[in-house]
Amino acid sequence: MSVDMIALSGLVVQSQGYLVSEMNGEKVMLSIENGKYYNLGQIGGRVWELIESPASIQDVVDRLVTEYVIEPEECQRQVRRFLQQLKAEGLIQVGKE
Amino acid sequence: MVLPEGFEINGMQSVDVEIDLNPPQDNVRDSFETANFRVDNGRFLFHVPETAVYSVADGTHIAVTPYPGADEAKIRLFLLGTCMGVLLMQRGILPLHGSAVVIDGKVYAIVGESGAGKSTLAAAFARAGYPLMTDDVIAVALTDDAALVHPSYPQQKLWEESIEQLGLHDRDYSSIYQRVNKYAVPIRSRFCREALPLAGIVELVKSDAPEPSIQAYNRLEGLHALNVHTYRNSLLHLMNRQQWQFQSIARLASELPVYRLRRPADGFSAFDLVDQIIRLTNKREVVIS
Repeated sequence: MSVDMIALSGLVVQSQGYLVSEMNGEKVMLSIENGKYYNLGQIGGRVWELIESPASIQDVVDRLVTEYVIEPEECQRQVRRFLQQLKAEGLIQVGKE
Repeated sequence: MVLPEGFEINGMQSVDVEIDLNPPQDNVRDSFETANFRVDNGRFLFHVPETAVYSVADGTHIAVTPYPGADEAKIRLFLLGTCMGVLLMQRGILPLHGSAVVIDGKVYAIVGESGAGKSTLAAAFARAGYPLMTDDVIAVALTDDAALVHPSYPQQKLWEESIEQLGLHDRDYSSIYQRVNKYAVPIRSRFCREALPLAGIVELVKSDAPEPSIQAYNRLEGLHALNVHTYRNSLLHLMNRQQWQFQSIARLASELPVYRLRRPADGFSAFDLVDQIIRLTNKREVVIS
């Protein structure tokens, strides 16, 4: 586990500066700054929508388990890993609390 | 000023675009400090040194104020180019940079960088009997259930070399802009005048390979190609149209095939490329040929 793991209750929010659209149900984005394209996929796109305003991993998981058939523990693991990736790419801002 | 590139549509009910030509002025550039583009109260203003200042508003109105003694062909070049591109964006019509041909009632857009051979290829299509939809700016209107290409003015800009390759003689055509070796070739007879559905996009690319080849892009690659070849894409930000443009090209790239057509840098035959594209339209799914 890396030291900069996002805490379960820590708040995450979308970074600004991306053009966002959908292609066949999948969320695609373009960084205005560096011209990089991202495909977040379908569920990743849903996670993206859920962090439009600051939300915790727990908030996101609570919502996803009502929308998809998945165990909370497994969901939390996947959401955390996904958000770590978004963080590494600078796609989200992570708060301290 | 006369616009020889334009043509009249019989029975047209209303005027689509109004172009005002103001008297020449010496001080037209005064309102431009560093950049030659700006937006003022929703009007798009654009300055071409030694030529004119243009104002494009509401997707319907263009005003031109030339410099005294400015070259008329050059004034027209920007009027039919950048101004029309901006006007389309204001109307919510996506402008792509390239040529469009009609094959079996459907439109194929040929996009690519300057010098890729778009106009030459379009001219070859015209010679082979296929109607052209437009050259230079492809106007794509996205409706709920279709992407329609609207016809543009009936003219082709051709590089001098292409004219020679096609066996036309350059002295027969007037140069549209003295500093560029592009020529205006009227194509009235082979010009399609009705809006037709867009069926695919072909990006034409110069390559080192000896033979032409065509390949389907995946969706993100297609998205990128459409982004790069959006006409005057550097102005989208200024016009606050970036998000709209991205959504438009995402829709096109998810609904329509985008291909890359590589053509040899030298000694290529535009008619071979026509064959490649025609073969493509005859099969539903072609990846590599």
